[in-house]
Formats: sequence, structure tokens, C-alpha cells
Amino acid sequence: MFKELDPILHSQLRLAIMSLLISVKEAEFTFIKEKTNATAGNLSVQVQKLKEAGYIDVTKEFKDNYPNTTCHITQQGIKAFEEYVKALQEYLKVGQSR
Amino acid sequence: MEDEAPLSEQESLALIARMINKVKCDYEESGLSTLLWGGVITFCSIVSFIAFEIDKPWLYNVWDLTILAVIIQVIVVIRENRRKKYRSHSDAIMGGIWISFGTSMFLISFYASKFQIPHANALYLIVYGIPTFATGLSRGFKPMIYGGLACWALAIASMYTQDGYTFLYSAVAAQVAWFIPGLILRKRYQKAKSGNV
Repeated sequence: MFKELDPILHSQLRLAIMSLLISVKEAEFTFIKEKTNATAGNLSVQVQKLKEAGYIDVTKEFKDNYPNTTCHITQQGIKAFEEYVKALQEYLKVGQSR
Repeated sequence: MEDEAPLSEQESLALIARMINKVKCDYEESGLSTLLWGGVITFCSIVSFIAFEIDKPWLYNVWDLTILAVIIQVIVVIRENRRKKYRSHSDAIMGGIWISFGTSMFLISFYASKFQIPHANALYLIVYGIPTFATGLSRGFKPMIYGGLACWALAIASMYTQDGYTFLYSAVAAQVAWFIPGLILRKRYQKAKSGNV
């Protein structure tokens, strides 16, 4: 029986955000925007969804007198990401053996 | 990048790999700190060797320059941290290693000034090798791995060399461990920076 892929992660932009955040300790919103080539509006919506799922934490503060948003992955997010990758690998293993 | 575009399993894995790789490629050290310390330690070591040769002990005060280097280093670190858009997992570890190194160097210098240590430069060279080798290994940066090993080899050589001449070993160590790797890092950084424009 296959484990269902996490619908929060199984979306292009949200998966891209999580893949970036798993590689770093924390990243600024502008960095994520630059690397994903997403629009600020779309990215804000997806960041909010990941935050509501408890997968990332978002900190808003001022840096050089400008508002600055920083994101970092939570323990729950790391676990979800690992399970998602494991599930993907299982799907692919079966696909290859057929 | 769209949000709801359907993803196959292969596409998902490819996307994960691509994003992780983007962060990897983005990581570039400016090389300023390594250049600074490589330059300062080389200069101080050569002046100390001259002081030994011409018997002018006051020239040893050249090591006070390291205090100025610490101040410049702090400014460089603050400026670089302010510019950085993300923090990697190894940033804190590397920071910890180099702060421990700085503290150890300060304590060893204090200890060496209080008590007569035979072949003190050997001790400094052993300590130089630790953060250099650790940084090279963790970043996969071969010039610093070789630099760390060179420090330890020169430390062994220092144990069998007359004290004054060991300043030349320190100068060589500073070049191999920091200045040359610093030049390589700086070149890479400038190349990456010009590529991002």
C-alpha cells in the first residue's frame, strides 16, 4: 500500500521553498523569491500555507530600517519533508521494477 | 514558478535536487578574512625574523598589528553578515571554530609572554592548523586542507630549528594556509558576483 504524498508539499512552489529551507538554517524572503523565480504575491501565499501547516516559521523584523522577512524550517517540516522524499523514492522504486 | 502545476514523482525529486544545488552554488566566501590574516601574519613573521637577525627586540612589537587586524575582522564579519540573505547550517559551526581559535591564540600568546616556552612557534603552528584543516575539510576546499597539513608539517620542522628562523616557517604557513586560499576564494567570489549581475 502506497503512502499518499503530502498534499502540502506536493506542489511545485511549496516544494521548492521547502527544498531551499532544508538546505539552510534560515533564509530571507528575497533569497527564496530570487531562487524560485516566483512573484512576491504568490510566494507570500505559499509561505503562509507552509506556516499554517507548521512546516516553517516566519520572522518579521527590521534590517537597515527596512522590513525583512526570514523563514526557517521547523522540526515538523523536516520530518514531513523526509517522509515525502521517502514516499517519492518508494513510488519510483516500484515504477522501475515494473 | 507556478504553485499548482501538477508534478510527477521524477519531477518532484528533480526539483528538490535543483533547489538544493542552487543553494550550494550560491555559497561563496568573500575570502577577505583569510587574506587579511594571511597578510598580517606573514608581515609580522618576516619583521620578527628581521628583528631576530639584526637583534632589535623592539621590532617584535609588530605583533600589536594583530589587534588592529581583529578590529578590521569584526567589521568585515558584521558587514558580510548584514549582506547575507541566508545562513547555512555550517556558518555557526565555522564561527565557533574560528572564535575558539582566536581565543586560544590570545591565551597562548599570554602564556608564552609569561613563561619561557621553548620553540613557541611550533605551538602556534599546531594551533594554526586546526581551524584551517577543519574549514577545508567541512567546506571541501582542498587549498585549506593542504594549508592545515602544511602548518602541522612546519610545526614539526620548528621543533628542530633554532627559534628565530621558525618565524620564516610561520610566514610560509600564513601564506599556504590563509593568503593563497584567500586569493583563490576572492577570485571565485568575484567571478560568482559578476555572474550574478
